[in-house]
Amino acid sequence: MISFSPSMQSASYLTAPDELSDTETELAINNYCLFYGQQQALFDINMKIPKNKVTALIGPSGCGKSTLLRSINRMNDLLPDCRTQGEILFAGQNIMQPNVDVATLRRMIGMVFQSPNPFPKSIFENVIYGLRVRGVNNKRRLDSAAEDALRKAALWDEVKDRLDESALNLSGGQQQRLVIARAIAVEPSVLLLDEPTSALDPISTLTIEELINELKSTYTVVIVTHNMQQAARVSDYTAFMFMGELIEYTDTNQLFTTPSKKKTEDYITGRYG
Amino acid sequence: MKHQLVVNKSLQKMVPGVWLTAAAVSICLLTVFILVGMISARGLSYFLPSPVQTIVLQQPIAGQSQYVGQILAQEDSYQALNDRESAAQRILLRHTTSNLARSKYLWIELNEIKSMRLDKDIMVVERLNASPLFVYAYQTSQAKLLAKLEQINQLQDRVAELRRGKLSRLLDQVDQAGPDLPSIRDSLADVEAEISALQQKMQQKNLLVTNIYGQQVEIKAQELATLYWPNQMNFWQKSKFFVQRFIDFVSDYPREANTRGGVFPAIFGTVLMVLLMSLLVAPMGVIAAIYLHEYAGNNWLTRIIRIAVINLAGVPSIVYGVFGLGFFVYFVGTGIDEIFFSEQLPSPTFGSPGILWSALTLAILTLPIVIVTTEEGLSRIPVSIREGSYALGANRSETIWRVILPMASPAIMTGLILAVARAAGEVAPLMLVGVVKMAPTLPLDNVFPYLHLDRQFMHLGFHIYDLGFQSSQIEAVRPMVFATAFLLILIVVFLNLAAVSLRNRLNYKYHYTKR
Repeated sequence: MISFSPSMQSASYLTAPDELSDTETELAINNYCLFYGQQQALFDINMKIPKNKVTALIGPSGCGKSTLLRSINRMNDLLPDCRTQGEILFAGQNIMQPNVDVATLRRMIGMVFQSPNPFPKSIFENVIYGLRVRGVNNKRRLDSAAEDALRKAALWDEVKDRLDESALNLSGGQQQRLVIARAIAVEPSVLLLDEPTSALDPISTLTIEELINELKSTYTVVIVTHNMQQAARVSDYTAFMFMGELIEYTDTNQLFTTPSKKKTEDYITGRYG
Repeated sequence: MKHQLVVNKSLQKMVPGVWLTAAAVSICLLTVFILVGMISARGLSYFLPSPVQTIVLQQPIAGQSQYVGQILAQEDSYQALNDRESAAQRILLRHTTSNLARSKYLWIELNEIKSMRLDKDIMVVERLNASPLFVYAYQTSQAKLLAKLEQINQLQDRVAELRRGKLSRLLDQVDQAGPDLPSIRDSLADVEAEISALQQKMQQKNLLVTNIYGQQVEIKAQELATLYWPNQMNFWQKSKFFVQRFIDFVSDYPREANTRGGVFPAIFGTVLMVLLMSLLVAPMGVIAAIYLHEYAGNNWLTRIIRIAVINLAGVPSIVYGVFGLGFFVYFVGTGIDEIFFSEQLPSPTFGSPGILWSALTLAILTLPIVIVTTEEGLSRIPVSIREGSYALGANRSETIWRVILPMASPAIMTGLILAVARAAGEVAPLMLVGVVKMAPTLPLDNVFPYLHLDRQFMHLGFHIYDLGFQSSQIEAVRPMVFATAFLLILIVVFLNLAAVSLRNRLNYKYHYTKR
């Protein structure tokens, strides 16, 4: 079984992609293909995701952007009949190898889903769930981890007096920030956000977007979104996917102002999707 | 073109579908109300003091023209069965024989009765091991009699205490050490002397009463249970009597081949057996459901297993009884005896019917219910919750233990409620694997190891069957059958309410919707 040591995370042998104006790469996806049974969902994806930046995946529904995101922390394992080719490199390891410890991998690559999914437990227990699973039971350590994570998720001031209340009593926006705090509490290096604001109202969306901006100083963020304005607002790099293929992947500004591919231009100008 | 938007409101309500569904619900409700109403009305009347009638006949029956007794039933007489015009009715009277030995039952046609009155001075004497008597007090007042009754009851309590406490402890020692130890022999003699002294004291308090024929009869104090004057009770006294009798019924041991006294051992046995069953079936069912739903792949084998489990619920319960007897009692029980209790063979310990085997048999009987409801509950948990847990680095078993099981707990409780309701009312299989008409000891007592899983036990359901269908005095015990049935319903309702309140609390805690 391959384990990930923290020192390997910042290995600098992964060089930055030429077309991206950045230096360090967190994740490298090489010739990645994914099949559901006989049907191919992802075609030969190649992209390098830079460290401590926000990378957005956009594209019409069913283009495979969520599938790609889920591959990064092996959530695709949960689907029956799912088969992959190619590699995804993280901390120097190909995480698609069958002998990878998936639980450890998922601690290092956290994920937040489309609709908030807090557990029916107290706010506190939700935040420290990952730590409890890892076997941490030291009360003081759990307390400080919970406070730290909730502060980073900009939720601490709203919930600090009611940590023992059920997480289900929170509003949708608060729940989504709680879920982000829950992911942060296990100290991952990558955060995957799968349309994190699609179930939220504009004000909560704004809060989450501000939060994403804060988070990128510490974490590498990959966000899937349907909302092109959101991608333009929060991301440093944007990848446009179509029919399971990566069409264009470059700096966000460049992609939205001077797209090099016809399909990208059609999509961002609203001709389809 | 104009559309008619306003419709007659009363017409709108008369949609046939609504009527049909409402009618179905009404029929269900009606059946339940009639059933519960009949059982509770007839069961509760057992606890009321029924008046003692003095009946004078036009022509003597069996050489006697005046009868004193309680009316147990009233129905159409045979005459009315043959002749539709006639409205003749007859009554069933319980009276006492002239020598006060026992109760007798007599059907009397209403039109043969000359007069009927309530004699205020009639006294009912309840005896411990015989039927009640209808007599008059002899040269004494009610207050004096009641005072005497209290003294007698105190003496009886002291004797019973000695028997249950000191004497039974000494007898246990005799069982272990043999009767030859001088110290035991001495203290045994002491206790026996003490008891006989108390009994002699009681003998001096024997009651002298006048029977309905004017003769003086003595009633032994040892036999006396209670006495009361039903014909002069006011509402308050009747209510007190009712409550007292109900308490006696649920707390006393049965007497006289179960036809008198209380049903405490049966209540105790029923509740203990159901609790044991719940302890056995809950983990078994939940673990099986978790395997079926979480681990087993969705292939033809799983589907066959699932169908088999569902079909198990349809197997007649007596088949489970036979299985329990053959497998648990004769195979497993005998095996346990050979390995662990070989020094006591050939007398069986676990190799004979007992409460453990009853609980196990009913656990298997109710297993399908728990498995099916638990699986339903597991499949209702949103995928997003599982994904959330996996995404935080939990593996499958951690996810099940920390998130899935707590969220499925209301469904598990639902399964358990259904299982308890089924098990508490089940009689047929129990007759083969552990229930008896009269158990000398409770399965739980203060002798190590306290919970005696090998013992046979009494059960309310079997008590109903035994009283109602195996008793020689069916007329006398019929009210008791209803009272026992009422009690069984009460216990099932109570157990269910406890489980429902627990489920509601879990539901509040774990239900996955925003409140």
